[in-house]
Amino acid sequence: MAEPIDCAVLAAVGVRKTYSFGAVPVEVLRGADLAVKPGEWVAVLGSSGSGKSTLLHLMGGLDRPDVNGGEIRFRGSPIAVTHGHRLDTYRNRDIGFVYQFYHLLPELNVLENAMLPAMVGNWLPRAFSGARGLRRAEARQSSIALLESFGLGHRMHHRPAQLSGGERQRVAIARALANAPTVLLADEPTGNLDVKTGAGILDLLSERHARGLTIVMVTHDPAVAQRADRMVKLTDGRVEAEGVVR
Amino acid sequence: MGHSVYAALLSNRYLTSRLIPFIAIAAVALCVALVVTVVSVMTGFLNMLKDSGRLVVGDVIVSSGIGGMPYSDEFVADLKGLPSVQGATPLIDTIGMLRMPYPSGNQKEIVHVQVWAVDPLSFATVTDYAQDLYWRPPADAAAAATMSPDDPRRSLSPSILQDGLTLTQSRTGTPGITLGMHVSVGNARQRDGSYLPRYNWFMPGMDVTLTVVPISGSGTLSQPREHTFPIVNELQTGIYEIDKNRIYIPLKEGQRLLRMDDAPLFDLNAEPDAEGNYPIIGKAPSRVTKILVRARAGTNANDLREAVDARYADFSSRIKADPTRRAKMPEFVSILTWEQQLRDLITPVEKEREMMRVLFSLIYLVCAGLILSIFWAIVVEKTRDIGILRSIGASRGGVLWIFLRYGLIIGVTGSCLGVLLAWGVIRNINAIHEAIGSDAPPAIWIGTFVFAGGCAVGLGRAIWIGRLLSILLWLLGTSVLTLIATALALHHGTLIWDPSVYYFTIVPDQVDWTTAWTTALGGVLFSVIGAAIPAAKAADIDPVEALRYG
Ligand SMILES: Nc1ncnc2c1ncn2[C@@H]1O[C@H](COP(=O)(O)OP(=O)(O)OP(=O)(O)O)[C@@H](O)[C@H]1O
Ligand SMILES: [Mg+2]
Repeated sequence: MAEPIDCAVLAAVGVRKTYSFGAVPVEVLRGADLAVKPGEWVAVLGSSGSGKSTLLHLMGGLDRPDVNGGEIRFRGSPIAVTHGHRLDTYRNRDIGFVYQFYHLLPELNVLENAMLPAMVGNWLPRAFSGARGLRRAEARQSSIALLESFGLGHRMHHRPAQLSGGERQRVAIARALANAPTVLLADEPTGNLDVKTGAGILDLLSERHARGLTIVMVTHDPAVAQRADRMVKLTDGRVEAEGVVR
Repeated sequence: MGHSVYAALLSNRYLTSRLIPFIAIAAVALCVALVVTVVSVMTGFLNMLKDSGRLVVGDVIVSSGIGGMPYSDEFVADLKGLPSVQGATPLIDTIGMLRMPYPSGNQKEIVHVQVWAVDPLSFATVTDYAQDLYWRPPADAAAAATMSPDDPRRSLSPSILQDGLTLTQSRTGTPGITLGMHVSVGNARQRDGSYLPRYNWFMPGMDVTLTVVPISGSGTLSQPREHTFPIVNELQTGIYEIDKNRIYIPLKEGQRLLRMDDAPLFDLNAEPDAEGNYPIIGKAPSRVTKILVRARAGTNANDLREAVDARYADFSSRIKADPTRRAKMPEFVSILTWEQQLRDLITPVEKEREMMRVLFSLIYLVCAGLILSIFWAIVVEKTRDIGILRSIGASRGGVLWIFLRYGLIIGVTGSCLGVLLAWGVIRNINAIHEAIGSDAPPAIWIGTFVFAGGCAVGLGRAIWIGRLLSILLWLLGTSVLTLIATALALHHGTLIWDPSVYYFTIVPDQVDWTTAWTTALGGVLFSVIGAAIPAAKAADIDPVEALRYG
């Protein structure tokens, strides 16, 4: 199946990733291709250790493919052509991450956690943050609105430790959306939750998706993957199309 | 810094959410306070030494050998003509033995002393002699009120001060002697710095016998000569070395005893007469061994020294060119500033201060190490959080700044507290010393015992609950407080700053601000250095690794 890489918002093109574990190199990705269209929700399936998280990290600019091991393109141009601030800005502005274990900062309260990307964005030099750089007060207002819409209005000043798993994941999503990113990368967002709570989280993602958010979601669970527009499967370090859900 | 909002937020949270940073702040504060206190006291001590030294010897000292220099009156007059000179005074400096009025074993005590034969009136214009005379009635009722009821100065007549100033016992008209305060063992120093005679050995009015050895111009010793003087007063210069050894007698008496007064000059080349006497060809002038010069206010001692040097060269060549003045001029005179003269006294103290500074500054390394290990532990603990921050776009610089800022806060807070602490201690150092010098008030040690008892109750509770850490902490508290309380209860005053060991009677209580701020700066610097290493480690954390295993 020929994938329309040119009109993709985020694309992995022939991505290779090798970890050298001691003397033995482990080839995790062996030329993985994945093109995500604007506004699409893609579910990435695959067995444990197949390289789903690795692919997500590469697409999110947290890690780089091997030398001559393909590239990640965002809006058609490769990310990570330069070091430093450009990649930091990419992670801050264009991408939002959600993890299985929420990864909230325990010293900050709910609101502070949700505002963190906005605050970090203010730290980035003006040249990179540009006109999209939100002022702190605006950031605060939009984070409050987001948390309230997630039903966390009364939890604003609580610490993560005081929240349930579902609530924590909602805070994590609010954080991922703080800078209104183009793409949300979710690594097993429901993996640590019971079915009912997980469904709540997926509803939340659906709602965002309906408003145009592009989502790449890693999951083990085919039932969860059903919520996406399209499913792909990682096998032997390559992406295989699994089927279009809708 | 609007751009570092999250770094500020996080470093503040890391600071306030745990106890250890406060221990680091306390450590920095203590290090800074220690260095500032020690160096300030030493600097104050040095300044006091210099000030008093200068007031005892004047600004510039002209010294000849033991043979002395003639025509000193003329030279003194010359010097007084210099615009930068406020006063000049001739004196003889020699050593002697003093037989004290009180016994030591079967005989009277004999002490060796440094004898200064001075012209008291001009001497008082060059040095602080007049102010240093100790025995004098209180100036007014207010001064009297501050004295203890049994202070002997309360009942003194004003004539005792006058006698000291003139070195004459006015009652009998005989030349008198004044002694440094610690020459006699009769003077017992009290807590408040005043003196009370021991066993009623009140020196003024008693007689002492001074023995000196005259030395001829050629350097041979003559028969020792002695003279008995009434003590007219005693002096406290504040420099223990001087107060322990120095005595003052009138210049005329000194010259007479040491055979340095004017005498007939014999022609040794002529034939002696029938009785073996050489013919008299003139009069040898009296001699002195030192001339002290006081600079006018605003004149630098070094400049004055050069002026005096030039003036002496003029004077010396004038005398040598004059055939009618046949007395031999000294081969060599030394002309030194007070600082050069007191080198032996000042240098060791300066060296000691610098050594203290270096030694105590080593504890900065301890501070830096402490902060390093605390921060290292925090960075390791926060690895996952750092990965999260990087994943949402925090730059390496941002992560670095979180921890550098954290170190900066600890350094600045600790250093400021340290300076504040040092300031408090130094300003009250005499009161603190006083408190250490007296028995602890019962309220304090009883209070400490009560606290120890409170801790013991806590200990009992902790044992009941069975929490090991609580047991340990309460046990530590109880035993330390008990120890302190016992020490306080058994403590009987000891004066650390013993005037017989140190030169001065009070501890300097001025903060050396230059030292204070440089030390504080050092504290900040070392805190940041200590923080920089873990901060760099934090910035190097690979976000993927941190998220995967954190
Ligand atoms: N730093 C590393 N060094 C060595 N091997 C690594 C490293 N990181 C990942 N791997 C290996 O790469 C493979 C893929 O890991 P990855 O986390 O992407 O798998 P996954 O599909 O997300 O698995 P799971 O479903 O269990 O989360 C695994 O075999 C893992 O052991
Ligand atoms: Mg995974």
